[in-house]
Amino acid sequence: MYDVVIVGRGLTGLLSAIWSKKFAEKVAVVAQGTGKVVQSTGLFDITPGNEETENPFIKTDVAEKAVAKFKELMKQLDYPYQGSLEKPVPVVTGAGFVKYTTLYPETITPVPSTGHVVIVGFEEIADFQPAYVKGNLQTERPELNIDTIKVRLGEKSLRTLTQNDAARLLDRKEIRNGVIKQIKSQMAEKNIEQPRLFIFPASLGIANWREAVQDFHEALGTPVTEAPGMPPNATAIRLEEKLTKEAIRLGIRFYLDTEVTGSTIEDNKVVSLTIKNNSKVNTLKGANFIIAGGGVLGGGLTVTAKGLKDSILGLDVDEFGRYKVCPENVIPAGATLGTKMLKFGITGGIFSIQSGYESCLKLEESLAGGIIHA
Amino acid sequence: MLSTAYPKASFDQCIKCNACVVNCPVSNVTLEFGGPKHMGPELKRLVENNEYINDSRIDYCTMCGNCDIACPENVHVFTLNAFAKARHIELTGSKFRDLILSNAESVGKLASAFGPITNAAMKTKPIRKIMEGIMDIPAERRFPEYRFKNFKRIYKKKTANTERKIAYFVGCSAMYNNPEVAEAFVKVMEYNGIEVAVPDQKCCGVPMFANGKMKQGLKNAEYNVKSFLEYTRKGYDVVLTCTSCTTALKKEYTHFLKTEEAFELAEHVYDADEYLRMLNETGELNTNFGEVNEKAGYYTPCHMKTQGIGNPAVDVLSLIPGYEISTVPADCCGQCGTYGFKKEKYEVSMALGKSMAEAIEEDDSTYTVTECGMCTNQLLQLTSKKVKHPMTVLAEAYEKAASKEPVKA
Repeated sequence: MYDVVIVGRGLTGLLSAIWSKKFAEKVAVVAQGTGKVVQSTGLFDITPGNEETENPFIKTDVAEKAVAKFKELMKQLDYPYQGSLEKPVPVVTGAGFVKYTTLYPETITPVPSTGHVVIVGFEEIADFQPAYVKGNLQTERPELNIDTIKVRLGEKSLRTLTQNDAARLLDRKEIRNGVIKQIKSQMAEKNIEQPRLFIFPASLGIANWREAVQDFHEALGTPVTEAPGMPPNATAIRLEEKLTKEAIRLGIRFYLDTEVTGSTIEDNKVVSLTIKNNSKVNTLKGANFIIAGGGVLGGGLTVTAKGLKDSILGLDVDEFGRYKVCPENVIPAGATLGTKMLKFGITGGIFSIQSGYESCLKLEESLAGGIIHA
Repeated sequence: MLSTAYPKASFDQCIKCNACVVNCPVSNVTLEFGGPKHMGPELKRLVENNEYINDSRIDYCTMCGNCDIACPENVHVFTLNAFAKARHIELTGSKFRDLILSNAESVGKLASAFGPITNAAMKTKPIRKIMEGIMDIPAERRFPEYRFKNFKRIYKKKTANTERKIAYFVGCSAMYNNPEVAEAFVKVMEYNGIEVAVPDQKCCGVPMFANGKMKQGLKNAEYNVKSFLEYTRKGYDVVLTCTSCTTALKKEYTHFLKTEEAFELAEHVYDADEYLRMLNETGELNTNFGEVNEKAGYYTPCHMKTQGIGNPAVDVLSLIPGYEISTVPADCCGQCGTYGFKKEKYEVSMALGKSMAEAIEEDDSTYTVTECGMCTNQLLQLTSKKVKHPMTVLAEAYEKAASKEPVKA
């Protein structure tokens, strides 16, 4: 019997789990798959996928507290985030577009609108093409002077490499040195002047990201930035790894590769979840449940000819995927709060941090003997 | 019918999101592996209704199952990789060494028959150098010891007469290398008034599957399913102390054999601590544990993670008064069964083990607790801490309560 069972291990689920451990003794997470953190940029926008700096579903006072708590957590996990809700900053993406983001890790430096930048790509990484990035960035920042360089990571590979592979390689000092040497020699060869910023794909190390950023910064004498684009981005992988390991360290129990196939409800309270791992069916009892199944994209909601269907608890939902009657001990979080809460089908970003924070407030209230008001 | 044809699988659901690749321990330390996505759903998509492509990049898969854990779309990445490996070995053939390694049970029988000699030989450098030369088994690799007094010689009970009855699948590790684990398990169940029977059984097949010996593995699987179903149909529960064997019975038999019998058996299969935790929930567990003032760190084997049952060992061990146990956030150990015994994989195995060892050393515990015999081998080679099986700890705690005497650390 758990104090709280959290369904989903995306950003909302993981944050809810970690934060709830402060006041709940027994916490479990049930998840089918990793959640969508590894498909994200690892950056936090007000409205993901849009330049908007206002979102009616972000409550400034709550969001500010949530963001402060998130920054404190990430500092403790040695992957600090910077930025603020009031002043989003422009960053360059892996496609060369400029977007405004609120929270970003120390591997990111905002993109300037004037001066000179150099975009560095790797021959082995097809998902980040400096010339393409330049084309788009030039449209976005007409006054920017942009050069491009392509270098080799230098390891023979038997598969198509991603930013994740590049990042694992750049964890190694000798690979970094090889890359730095090539950048310097190409700059000399092509008479490229010292820029204000070097733009790399999101691949500046995983475990050794700090050393990687420092090495490039020092050796090239200029700040560097990652430009998150096609997943998997190192920015997101670090975030996911840090949060998951912290949750394990805190003693949160993970029920992995596990699907929730239904629930037992008595007197408008969920007593247990029916869970399935391969062909084995079990029940999981809890006093409270945080449902962070990620909506349509995360699999928590299924689109059917008759409208949206709740594929976790099996409850009736309205046209926006919200529970028609929410059981007393259930806290819907993230995209489970309904499709109205999101644009472009995704939550992520600040909304997830806020929602993880709010679900813990509700949970704390419930564990203290109060009733959840979802 | 034993076939190495791919099962009807879920490759069409793959959206190429890379979650499996990012979470693949092997992909993250070597570029030699094709990666679970390329070798799994993508290869399958390519060869479906088409000429088969024999892709040797599958060779580096350890079959840890982290790809299945990672996949958000419920693609059976692991199964697809397992069949790609089986087809590759079928078409290409395998090394003499891999034939030996995949027959862990025969090796166990033979090596334990000459136990003291085997162990001494495996610690003799010139012999190991010769083995490296002929067999491609690295001389630096630690080997588990074999016991003359293996569990087969010690325990021969074939039936149980208590209300709850256990049919114990021992596994090669507890049978030939660590019979004390099996003995502790029987003792723990005795303290709970449950008799343990050991049905006729063969190696679970995991070392065979992992070496692409699918047909041979399926033969063992069929034998075990038949043997254990005779027991479950009489009301026995199947309980195991090895996480890899447990995964075989719970998952691999159903995915690979695809028979109704395999599914029927899987319903009755429990990890030993999962079983004890269930007894605790129903109020049946004997909680008369003696105080054990120790601080341990639990290492989660990949084949425990993949079962989707939380951390039953930690749940149960936490019931012991005075006992402190933390969960160590450590990744795959890198031994991966027979994988870490192979010369050409040794570097990968060590690279995998590095971050695991760091996490174990960082943890503020005096020894490590884990179920898997193979993880234990790597833990003993790469960390300074002793390793215990949860059943050993539990048996000690019960004995302590019974004798009221202090337990030796």
